[in-house]
Formats: sequence, structure tokens, C-alpha cells
Amino acid sequence: MKAKEKTTCKEVMDHICDTLGEDLDSPNCSSIKEHLEHCESCQKYYNSITETILIYKKYNVKVTTEIHAKLLNFLGLDDCE
Amino acid sequence: MNEKEIIAKAQAGDRTALAKLVKMYEQTVYNFAYKICRDKEKAEHVMQETFLSMVKSIRQFSGKSKLSTWLYTIVSNHCLMMARSNKKHMHTSLDDDDALIDEKNITDWDVAPHKITENSELGHILDEAIKKLPPDYRIVFVMRDIQGLSTEETAKAMSLTIPNIKSRLHRARAFLRNELNKVFGNES
Repeated sequence: MKAKEKTTCKEVMDHICDTLGEDLDSPNCSSIKEHLEHCESCQKYYNSITETILIYKKYNVKVTTEIHAKLLNFLGLDDCE
Repeated sequence: MNEKEIIAKAQAGDRTALAKLVKMYEQTVYNFAYKICRDKEKAEHVMQETFLSMVKSIRQFSGKSKLSTWLYTIVSNHCLMMARSNKKHMHTSLDDDDALIDEKNITDWDVAPHKITENSELGHILDEAIKKLPPDYRIVFVMRDIQGLSTEETAKAMSLTIPNIKSRLHRARAFLRNELNKVFGNES
């Protein structure tokens, strides 16, 4: 069987998107990992996708005492605490 | 009392147990709804509707999945309903993979702490970027990447196949990354 052609940046970028946060140690990922180790452009892409996720993770909202009380009142459970 | 026991009591009609479940999951549901709607009032409304659905149908919860996965299904449905009723936003088509990943558009990112400190300008950019995503893509991104559900759990909660989840996640990440590249990307 003919060996697989060299992994392209496009394949790597697609694959990064598919697998980020999943198992990059699987056999299928070895050529992708090797490419990633040597390709500056793909490393930049990988880092920017990771940063995108981290930035969106940072913005959280908190359930205040008032919001909690309104919720229980809405559900008719405000006498249950 | 562990969660299973609290659920069993709630299913038997114990209102105090129901209030306990609300308390246990309100923060998760509110944050999730906020990250989808990017609006506190809408997120609060979605949270109320989600727990109302939980209270009404807790007896139907079989216990085969985690309660959190069941709640994610409910809150996602309410988010989708809200998005359908609010058609003000035009969503971007994400069908063209080649347009999403443009190799010429890859630069180093400058994410110095002062750039990612919570401020209204960045908040607005994040809001606008995520609002351009079709709601089902938004939900997949938030479930998988923000809330940390597995691909399998996300597929189950959204009644989609694993390849569908992966494809939506891939496109949502690439799209959001491109939008934020305008802020954080260094000109090369």
C-alpha cells in the first residue's frame, strides 16, 4: 500500500479543531503531532485556538442572592429552604 | 444525603429536595445560558424556564444519564427556542471550510493580561462574535469547550451524531478564532 503523502498544514489545522482537548496520543495523531512540532504556522494556529477557548471560559456570571430568591419564587419553592 | 437520594426524594414529591437540586445546579445552568445568550436578563429567563421544566418532569428522569446531562438537554432546548423567537441576529454561514481556515491569516497572538482583563470593549467583541454563530454551533462550543462535556455527552444532550458534533465544534472554534484574531493577532 502506498504510504500516506506528507501531512499538510490544512489537515493539521482541521485535525487540531477536531481533537483539541481529546486524545492527541492516539496512533492516528502521530503524524499530526510530528507536523505540529516542526511547523511554526500550525503551532500558532493551535495556540490561538487554545487562547480563544480560554478567553471565552474567563467570562462568567454569578447567581446572586436576589436571582436565587427570584428563581425559587418563580418555581413556588421559596418556602423550602 | 447524596445526589441520587435527593433526586429520589424530589421524584417522590419532596419540594425541599427539589429546591436542593435547584441550588446545586443553578450556577451551572445560569452560566451556560449566559454564554449562549450573552445577555443576563435572557439567561435568567432561560434558567427559570429550565428549572420549571425540571420541576414538572423530574419523575421522567430515568437516572440512565447524569442529571447534569439531562439539564443540559433542557437548557439547550430553551436556548434554541429563545434564539428562534429572536431573529434579529443574522447568523454566519459556516459551510465553507476553506474560508474558515485561511493559512495566510495565521499570526502570533498577543494575549497580554491587560488585553484580556474583563472590559466592556472586549466583552462586546466576544458577544458579537458568538452571536454570529448559528445557535446549535454556539451550544456545541459552550458544552464541549467551556463546560467540558465529552463529545459523547454533547452528542447525547443535543441528539446529534458524534461526527455532527465534531464538525460543528471544528467550525465554531475556527470561526471564533478568526473573529478574535482581529483583536489579538499581530500583523505580520
